[in-house]
Amino acid sequence: MTVIPEDFPVAETIEIQETAEVAAVISGASQRDQVIYPIGGGTALDWGLPATRPGTGLLLGGLQRVIDYPARDMTITVEAGITMQALAAELATEGQQLPLDVPQADRATLGGVVATNTNGPRRFGLGTVRDYVIGIHAVDGQGTPFQGGGRVVKNVAGYDFCKLLTGSMGTLGVITQLTLKLKPIPEQRTLVACAVDRWQTAETLLNGLVQSQTTPAAVELLSGSAWFSLAGLPTEGYAPRPGNSWLLVALEGTQPEVRWMVDQILKEWRGMSITAAAECTEEQAAALWSALVEFPAGESPLVLKASVLPSATTRMMAAFQEVDADCSLQAHAGNGTVIARFSAFPSDGLSRTLVTQLQPVAIASQGNITILSNPGKSEMTPQCVWGGNTAPFDLMSAVKQKFDPQNLLNPDRFVYRSTAS
Amino acid sequence: MHVALPAQLIGRLQKTLGANRVLTAGSDLMAYECDGFTIEKNSPDVVVFPDTTEHVTQIVSLCNEYDVPFIPRGAGTSLAGGCLPVGGGVMIVLTRMKEILEINLRDRYAIVQPGVVNVWLTQALKGSGYHYAPDPSSQGACTIGGNVATNSGGPHTLKYGVTVNHVLGLEAVLADGQIVRLGGPAEDAPGLDLVGAIVGSEGTLAIVTRVWVRITRNPQGYRTMLGIFESVEDATNAISEIIGAGIVPAALEMMDQGILVAVEEAFGFGFPLDAQAVLLIEVDGLEAGLDHQRDQIDRLCKECGAREVRRAETDRERQQLWKARKQAFGAIGRLSPSYCTQDGVVPRTKLPQILQRITEISQRYELKVVNVFHAGDGNLHPILLFDERDQHQVERVLKASGEILEECLACGGSVTGEHGIGVEKIHFMKRMFSEDDLAVMGRLRDSFNPHNKLSPDKMLPTAGACGMEQTHPGRRAAM
Repeated sequence: MTVIPEDFPVAETIEIQETAEVAAVISGASQRDQVIYPIGGGTALDWGLPATRPGTGLLLGGLQRVIDYPARDMTITVEAGITMQALAAELATEGQQLPLDVPQADRATLGGVVATNTNGPRRFGLGTVRDYVIGIHAVDGQGTPFQGGGRVVKNVAGYDFCKLLTGSMGTLGVITQLTLKLKPIPEQRTLVACAVDRWQTAETLLNGLVQSQTTPAAVELLSGSAWFSLAGLPTEGYAPRPGNSWLLVALEGTQPEVRWMVDQILKEWRGMSITAAAECTEEQAAALWSALVEFPAGESPLVLKASVLPSATTRMMAAFQEVDADCSLQAHAGNGTVIARFSAFPSDGLSRTLVTQLQPVAIASQGNITILSNPGKSEMTPQCVWGGNTAPFDLMSAVKQKFDPQNLLNPDRFVYRSTAS
Repeated sequence: MHVALPAQLIGRLQKTLGANRVLTAGSDLMAYECDGFTIEKNSPDVVVFPDTTEHVTQIVSLCNEYDVPFIPRGAGTSLAGGCLPVGGGVMIVLTRMKEILEINLRDRYAIVQPGVVNVWLTQALKGSGYHYAPDPSSQGACTIGGNVATNSGGPHTLKYGVTVNHVLGLEAVLADGQIVRLGGPAEDAPGLDLVGAIVGSEGTLAIVTRVWVRITRNPQGYRTMLGIFESVEDATNAISEIIGAGIVPAALEMMDQGILVAVEEAFGFGFPLDAQAVLLIEVDGLEAGLDHQRDQIDRLCKECGAREVRRAETDRERQQLWKARKQAFGAIGRLSPSYCTQDGVVPRTKLPQILQRITEISQRYELKVVNVFHAGDGNLHPILLFDERDQHQVERVLKASGEILEECLACGGSVTGEHGIGVEKIHFMKRMFSEDDLAVMGRLRDSFNPHNKLSPDKMLPTAGACGMEQTHPGRRAAM
């Protein structure tokens, strides 16, 4: 069920049932200069700059058909409104998966996941959305349907709209259909965790993983109260204060591979004087995994995401704890992605905190900080929401202008500098 | 089609770069009149060799000032005419920008200039436990800048992905001379994925001057096998069974009897000459899982009718098998004076169907066709054998090639898996994409390259432009 926040400026909604309707609706809206907000499951409407212009909500959850699932080709073509949960269920019948680890999978739609480039813990071992989309259909800001890619896993014909539209927040086109590359579901997955009492040690362990003989699917570094109650995270060696963390690796593969990796990682860690490390039980691992996937969507007055060099992960986590000692942190540490769920809105104000304390740390390691959610909506300026890097936003604006010259698709919410209105 | 190049421009290029960085003599320019696609040739008016990004930006600014077209080029190993200077102009050859600027194991990236040869990076990483995964068969010559332009593949893309899956960021010079930095070693840069748009854009959106690439952990071990089959159909069924069983091999390559005979005559590897097809299958990863995967593959191949599954027991035997695969093209000279390779893709379950159709087409046109290709990806490289001195054969080859690609499309595939559109396949774009799709692609190009001075007449069919007519199939191939 799609829930649209009360303050989201949609006066009317249109429930789309057929992909062809999308072009007709946008074409009509374009003639009337009417703003369109594409909405999948409504799980990421907080993302980006707040919507301000009144417009029509295009509800895409009705587009949920499986168009073609040639399982032996390990590809699937589906309509974009299918939920991640329904997609996973379909793929599981053939022992396959789209390994993206998206929160609120019962509501989040595939199209929304692609538009927001939402990724989770296994981005380390299995890649991100852009590695899986091989074909895309969308409708641009004037109602022109277009497609890129195709239905084969290898294809270099034409410009790669699959990449261009991934993470574009629906601002270049409303995604209606996708073809995906798939992976087999591994025979087994397990989690191995250890407690670490200072950031420096955590970095030593992360650095050790660079030469590990194991091949983790995910490398997670966790800190803060959100994780306290979870069984499976060792209590020995962990104190609930800043600088303490848990390092967790997800190991996937055939049973002999997983068994070998568990023994190996424990051996490698013992060699680095980590003794309080253990493999989770199956039950613990299931609960922990679910917590890892859902963490970014948890209740919080402010959720920030930093993307930095992997070697700066602990530095970034320390910076978040300096701002809010009680925040909860999840890092996809192999990738340098740090998600911070604040315990309270920064008392110095968001803008000041970002500019003086957090963005400098991210920028120093060539990274950036974005806002994942800020329910209070205060200080949602472009510099806060997308700030902290030097991307060529002018060039991006030129691309936007060509796809949506009237600026009707999700207007004024993305990175563009000067948009026509 | 040539526009006369103002003499003043040449003078200013020489002044900017130094005279030894500018070629203008007709005999010097000849080497730059085509790439690996040799059907169509056209000389640039001048070839320049920048050393730095600033040079590139200065060259581009001058081209704009004098309103002449310009085109980037790497090693010129591309196979679809991607660096053919249609309409002449200034060719910007990036092979002197060949430094590996940084290797950072902790953060798993390397920064290279565009002229770095693909294999140099993996060589530089030797002993580190890491490598650069994209490995086109031309990797000893092709440049990473060129790989970015064509989104190159290679035998190991089945498991590891193509170039775009390994590019984190780019520095590029835009068509107006502006230098931009897109993405970088930290992931998830806010905004559009313009890196993803530029990779594979065949030099039509920007000139890449620096590349941040992901480096990949070396696998702990390999198992390499050769499945020998009585029929092509059995071999293709085995491919489906292996992948259907949830095994993702690092490589899965097929050679049919025609190519086997040539390889055997040339190198004497001991291949059975009466086999209709062989599969070269490699799995890699943790030692703990490899024997099991090898046994599964062995069993599946035999269930599909394999006469024999040979195993490479030593590293030397493994290298022998790969040598046979990679040198297959070198052996074709034994079969005919000329040959033409295509680059179609089909869903891999359609391989039996497409190979049957290729046989029918070759019989109808009285041509011999042999196959050696990336079977696991469904990426075909049918090789049409002919004698270029016989114009009738030449015409038949062109028609048969076109029909093969049409069949790939009819199977739900693509006309190019890794070689690119270039000029060779520009006429197929309208078959693969609607007018609307092409118009939107045109708009993307316009946003980067509004005056179409950068690599003009490539990739997208231009309204009203007279496409070069194909009169002669290409001779060379590499994969």
